[in-house]
Amino acid sequence: MKIQKLLCIFLAAAMAASLAACNDGSSSASSAAGAASAASQADEADEGGDSGDSGEAVTVEVWSNNRHDETYMTSSIDQHNADNPNLQIEYTIMADDWANSIQLAFQANTAPDIISMSASDGMTLSDYVSAGMFESLSSYIEGDETFQTVNEPYEHMYEGLNSIGDDIYWVPTGVRSGTRIEYNIGLMQDAGYDGVPSTLGELVEAAKAVTENGGGTVYGVGFTQNGFGRWLEGIGEMSGYNHMGYDYVNGVFDFSEWKPLLETAAEIYASGSVLPGSENQGVDNNRALFAQGSFAIWGNASQEAGVFTDQFPCDFEWGVAELPTMDGEVKGALPCTPNFAWVMLTSAEDKDACWDVISYFSSEEFLKGYFEGGYSAPLTGYMADKYDASKAGRIADFALQDYEDVYPTIPTITIEGDDYATVMWNVILGNVGADEAIEDLNTRYNNALERGLANGSCTRLVIKDFDKLNPSAGTCEYLTE
Amino acid sequence: MSAQSKTAVSPTRKRSLKQKIARVRAEGGFAAALMLAPSVFLLLVTSVYPFLWVFRYVAYDYNGMTSYYVGAHNFTRMLQDATFWESVLHTFEYAALKVVFIIPLALIMAVLMSRKIMGSGIFRGIYFMPTIISAAVSSMVFTFIFAAYNGVLNAVLRAAGLISQNINWLGDENVAMWSVIIVAIWGGFGNYMIYFMSGMSSISNDVYESARIDGANGMQIFWKITLPMLSPMLKIILMLAITGAFKDYESIMVLTQGGPNNRTQVMFLYIYQLIFGTNVKNPQIGYGTVLSLMAAVIVGAVTGIYLLLARKLDDVM
Repeated sequence: MKIQKLLCIFLAAAMAASLAACNDGSSSASSAAGAASAASQADEADEGGDSGDSGEAVTVEVWSNNRHDETYMTSSIDQHNADNPNLQIEYTIMADDWANSIQLAFQANTAPDIISMSASDGMTLSDYVSAGMFESLSSYIEGDETFQTVNEPYEHMYEGLNSIGDDIYWVPTGVRSGTRIEYNIGLMQDAGYDGVPSTLGELVEAAKAVTENGGGTVYGVGFTQNGFGRWLEGIGEMSGYNHMGYDYVNGVFDFSEWKPLLETAAEIYASGSVLPGSENQGVDNNRALFAQGSFAIWGNASQEAGVFTDQFPCDFEWGVAELPTMDGEVKGALPCTPNFAWVMLTSAEDKDACWDVISYFSSEEFLKGYFEGGYSAPLTGYMADKYDASKAGRIADFALQDYEDVYPTIPTITIEGDDYATVMWNVILGNVGADEAIEDLNTRYNNALERGLANGSCTRLVIKDFDKLNPSAGTCEYLTE
Repeated sequence: MSAQSKTAVSPTRKRSLKQKIARVRAEGGFAAALMLAPSVFLLLVTSVYPFLWVFRYVAYDYNGMTSYYVGAHNFTRMLQDATFWESVLHTFEYAALKVVFIIPLALIMAVLMSRKIMGSGIFRGIYFMPTIISAAVSSMVFTFIFAAYNGVLNAVLRAAGLISQNINWLGDENVAMWSVIIVAIWGGFGNYMIYFMSGMSSISNDVYESARIDGANGMQIFWKITLPMLSPMLKIILMLAITGAFKDYESIMVLTQGGPNNRTQVMFLYIYQLIFGTNVKNPQIGYGTVLSLMAAVIVGAVTGIYLLLARKLDDVM
C-alpha cells in the first residue's frame, strides 16, 4: 500500500515536472522543428557581433503566406544556404490565418525575423507600426544603391500601404494586375461576340446570349462566394466611382454613385445568365467549372495565368480582356496589388542579417527567375526590362495598364453589420433594394468613421488634389476630426 | 471563559497544523492533490484564464493589437444588432430541428444495431464513421453533393423523377437551413447511437426475458422497458445534443458561410467571423467578446431550463 502511494506521488511529480519542462521549452518553440542548433548559433553570433565578420553562422527565420511559389522559393533558398554557410535562411509557409498567426507569434515571442507581404494581405500598416511590430527599412535602403536600382523604392512609396511619411516598411517587387475578364473564346464566338464588350450593359447582353446558346448546360457568367469584389467592383472603380465608397476629397463615405452599376449587374442574375449555385462555391470549384467550359465569362487578376495553365488547364482557347466600364470610358484607376515584399519585424535579433536576406530576395538574379517562372509580374521598370516575358507564360497577357494604380489606404474603421461588398452583393442577388442598401451603407460607414475619430482609432484622410485616374499622386492630409 | 464552556468545546478541539497534515497524509490527500495538479493547472490555463480574459475587452474596440475604450457601446450595439439576434433565432431553429431528428433516428438505429443480425457490426462502424471525420472535410464533400449545377443529389433526384429543375441547396433561402441540418444529422447520429447502445447494454436481459414470457411484443418491450430504462441515459444524451447543437458552426462555415443572406447564420459563426473571419480586415474582438458572453448566457440558460424540465427522467429507475 505504501509502495503504491509512493508510486502515485512519483508519477504525479513526474507529470508536473514534464509540464514545467514544456513551459521552459516554449520560448524556443520556433527552433523545435529542427532549428535548435541554428537558434543557438544565432545567439552565439549575436554575442560575437556581426555575423559576417565573425564567421559564425546566423539563421534568419522567414515566414511566407505564399504557396504558389513554393518550388522556386525552396530551391532558391537551398542554393543560397549551400553557397552561404554563414547566413542560413529558414523558410516556413504559413498560408492560413496569416495576420493572426503573425500577431500571436509576436506577442508570444516566437515570431520569425522576416515575413512576406502583399497589399492583398489586408494588414493595416499603421496598426502594426503603432504596435511596434514592423521595422522601418529606410536606413537600409538608403545605404544600398543596388537595391534602389533594382526595386525603385522611392517611386513605389504608397502612403499608408507600405510607407508612413518618410519611413518605408516594405518594398514591393512584383505586382498582381487589377482584375481582368477571362473568357472562353469559342463560347463567346458562338454567341456572336468576338471579344468582351466595353460596357457592362453589353456584357450583360453577351452573358444572356451565351446562356441562350448553352441549352441549359452552358451559362454566361460564373461568380463565386461574395462575388462583388471579384470583378464588378473594378468596373465601378474604372467608371470613376469612389474606391471602397470613400470620397477622398471630402474625407467621407459616399456610395451613392454605385447605384447604376448595382442595377445593371443585378440583371445578370435576373436574366438567369449566371451558372446556378456558383455564388455558393469556392473560387477553385468555379475555376474548374470554367476550365470545363461550363460558362464563358470569369473575372480575376493575373494569378489566373497560372491557374488556367497549370492548376486547371483549359482545353479550349481562352482570352484575357480589360474590364468594361459603365459607358465604355475609363474615368478612374483600377487598383492593382503590389506584392512579393518582405517586412522585418522589430523582434529580429540580427537586423543586418535580415536586411541581407531581404536584399537577396529582392536581387535582380532572384527576381528574374521569379518573374520568368510566372509567379508574379515585375513592378519596376528596371525588372520589366531585365526579365524575359516570353518565359512567363500567360502572365504577359495581364501586363499593367496605364490606368492601374494603388489607392491610398482609407481610414480603418469598425463597421457594424455587413461590409459594403456583402451589401452590394446582396443587392445584385436581389435580396435588398439598391437605394435602401446605399442609404444604409452611407449611414453605417460614416457613423463608424465618426466613432473612430472620437475614440482615436482612426484619422480622416483628405486629399484635396485627388485625381481618380492617378490616386497615388495626391497629397495626403490626416485629420483628427 | 468559564470552565463549563471549556468543557463544551473539548470534544471538537482544534487540531494542530501538524496533526492536520498527518491526517491529510494518512487519507492520501497529498497524493491526490499532486495527481490533480497537472490537470487543474491545464484547466486554469486553457479554460479559466481565457474565459476571464474575455472580460478585459468588453468595453474596448480591440483589433488584436491596439484597444480603444468605447464604454458601454459594445453592449448597446449588441441590443441593436439585428444580424446577431437573427443568428440567435437561427441557432434555436437549427438546434431544435437537429435534435428533433437526430435523437429518434439515433435511438431507432441503436435498437436495430443492438440485435444480433448479420452485418450489424459493419453497419455500426459505418454509421459511427462520420463522427471521426473532420467536419470541415465532410462538409467540403457535401458542397459537391449539394452543388446546384452538377451536384450528385440533384442528379439522383432528377434521375428518380422527383424533381424537374435543379435545386440550389445551399443558395436558396428556403432550402439552405435544411441542407445544413441534413449534414449535421449525418455527422452526429452515429455518435448518439453509440451512447444509446451503451445505455441499452446496461439493461438486464432478465427484464426482457420476463417481458417475453409475459407475452410482450417488440413494440411493447421498446415502449415499456427499453425507453423507460434508458431515461437517465437519454437525459444526458439530450443535454449533450442540445448544447452541441447550440455550439455547432464548423460545417455551416464551410457549407454556406452563414448565407444566403444570413439565412444560416448562427451565433458562434457570427462571433467567429467578427474575430477571425478571413474577410475581416479589422477584427472586432471587443464586440465579439460581448457576444460570446451573451451566447454563453443563452446556452447556459437553455441547458439550465432543460435540466429543470428533465429532472423527471431520473425518477424512472
